Amino acid sequence: MPEIDKEDYQKRLDRISELFSDMVVHADAQASERCPYRNRFDECTAKIHCRNQRPPRPEGELLMCGHDGGFDYRDAWESDPDSYDRAKAKIDKIKKQASSKRGQKPDSA
Amino acid sequence: MAELSDVVNETIQYEIEEFIERPDELERNITLFAKVRPSMQDIAAALIEGDNDSVDVLTKQALDEGIEAVEIMDDGLIAGMGIVGIKFRENFIFVPEVLACARAMKAGMAYIEPILSASGVEKAGTVIMGTVKGDLHDIGKNLCIMMLRGSGFEVHDLGVDTSEDEFIDAIEEHGAPVIGMSALLTTTMPNMGKIIEALIDADLRDDVQIMVGGAPVTQEFADDMGADGYGKDALACVSLAKDLIAAAAR
Repeated sequence: MPEIDKEDYQKRLDRISELFSDMVVHADAQASERCPYRNRFDECTAKIHCRNQRPPRPEGELLMCGHDGGFDYRDAWESDPDSYDRAKAKIDKIKKQASSKRGQKPDSA
Repeated sequence: MAELSDVVNETIQYEIEEFIERPDELERNITLFAKVRPSMQDIAAALIEGDNDSVDVLTKQALDEGIEAVEIMDDGLIAGMGIVGIKFRENFIFVPEVLACARAMKAGMAYIEPILSASGVEKAGTVIMGTVKGDLHDIGKNLCIMMLRGSGFEVHDLGVDTSEDEFIDAIEEHGAPVIGMSALLTTTMPNMGKIIEALIDADLRDDVQIMVGGAPVTQEFADDMGADGYGKDALACVSLAKDLIAAAAR
């Protein structure tokens, strides 16, 4: 089995990390205007339902993205920012139920 | 001085001519690809196209022919990913294409990893990643996985809609000290808390460090749920994973 020098490998890893870090930063910037599930053919690669999805091209399989860049697409995702408090309450309930099952006193909030 | 015509692979020639505009990058890539062997150009071309099957076959072939792993990394995988980075920066391609190229890189690295093990190169750590039950969002998770693998972590991706049992089975199978959970909906976020409670019930909580992330998740939520860390983006995820691995080792 051939071998690889640890320092040599680490240099390559550092280069890969650098490339990926730049990509992640750019992905974040790009996401403010373009859905990250939208590919270069303007097709939707998401498994989620989104109100911007349109029928696929006649020859295509993926749905098309109907977002026109004129508004924040994220509101079209099936998310509900106003349910934050409900999510917090649900977490508290889960913890209390789990503690109760174990016969422990639930933690105070 | 090397010319574009000195690059033998037509896909690479096209990629350079069509997508690289900055003079310094143009010169650097022409110089690089003009001198690398054709089989490395083929690997780079396949990676740029997101063709993980071809990267798999070509990388194995190259190693079987006695080409060194560092040469394959430098002139095939990293060189190809360099062009991907330029195309992405210039908005010729987008996140789905980048993730396809990252998968292609993983396909190539799969043959290099045994060489690393044999050389005594240790991985940065093992992480299990998944989007929680009821949630099908995966872009953020996939970007985190790309960063983690690029930083030397071994990552087991459980995909989306992952149940408590699937997380538990993965922890037991891989002995991973760190798990990462993602959720993009406020309705599915509480399932992170369920998974943490399930780990307590399974007597596994003390064996793992838990990091969480996703657009609606906050440090406050992470603390409420009993997670060990919260990462706001893929860069933070890697830094956090390194800290948690160190904490697990203590």
